[in-house]
Amino acid sequence: MSDILFNVGYGHFLVLAAVLFLIGVGGVLVRRNALIILMSVELMLNAANMTLVTFGRMWGDVSSHSFALIVIAVAAAEASVGLAIVVAVFRGRRNVDVDRLTTLRH
Amino acid sequence: MRLLILIMLAFGVATASTAAADPIPAQVVNVRPAVNVAKRSPHSDRVESKDKGMALLFWMFAAASVGGALFVISRRNLIAAVMGMVGSFLGIAAIYMMLYAHFLSVVQMLVYAGAIMVLFVFVIMILNRPEDEPVAPSGRAGQVLGGAAILYLVGRLVMLLIHVRAPATAAAAPGPTPEGHDWGSVKAVGTDLFGPDAFPFEAISILLLIAVVGAIAIARPLHEDKTIDDEGNPVPDPVTGAH
Repeated sequence: MSDILFNVGYGHFLVLAAVLFLIGVGGVLVRRNALIILMSVELMLNAANMTLVTFGRMWGDVSSHSFALIVIAVAAAEASVGLAIVVAVFRGRRNVDVDRLTTLRH
Repeated sequence: MRLLILIMLAFGVATASTAAADPIPAQVVNVRPAVNVAKRSPHSDRVESKDKGMALLFWMFAAASVGGALFVISRRNLIAAVMGMVGSFLGIAAIYMMLYAHFLSVVQMLVYAGAIMVLFVFVIMILNRPEDEPVAPSGRAGQVLGGAAILYLVGRLVMLLIHVRAPATAAAAPGPTPEGHDWGSVKAVGTDLFGPDAFPFEAISILLLIAVVGAIAIARPLHEDKTIDDEGNPVPDPVTGAH
């Protein structure tokens, strides 16, 4: 027990990333607000990044940092386009509840 | 042959006696690395050896990131959710620092906790609408199916993580990169980003350009479109107020 507490290894970082990823999945599944869903997606991208950096540190490969940077850039692009879509949807419908966006269903 | 052994024995006794006579014994210098080697097993996967302060910091920042994430998905107030997100990102940046990814940690703080979260706050200010019901209602079947899917995901993650083994070469602190730069420094990341990883880097610049143009094109108000609410009634434009 004290070994888990005081001996921080790579497993700790990987488990932390997995927990963050699962919280992100839960947010996407449970919440209805498009903004919260976008934030949960960002959380999942961060968890994947943390796994990438941990494995890069484990195997001594610094290119993991480059790829984490690229993932951050992709996340920024995703957030900007996603928020633009949210604003456009809100302009037309006055809410951003994803359960009520059913126009394409008919 | 016997003479050789005799000479070696004599040499050994002589060195032993000189070592014993030495006011600063040579063994003291050697004690510290020997103890360190004994402490660290050959297949060590610990980032920091038995350092309680480092462990305490890890648990603090892990709690900050997980707590912030839970705050995000549980709050009804969107601004509170964004603040939880900022705390989560700062915790993750600190965790990066513990993984010797210094440059990435700073980028995380600047880009995520700074830029992206400000973007979120701006959009929330534009929308400015309280949620009626934050959590999606779902039937019995949906709950069972979702719970089963989550359990499957957790199981697969646990199976994956159990089988992760650190390589035998993993060191307590990373040495310099093959180019001779400090691990995780701007120089190391830049050398990699403009060398072997130049193509993804250039592709990202094109992606960002497309994202900027796309975001402006999508978010621009279209006045010729009829804006309707859920019941099909026309509503005023949120910016100009015109019907």
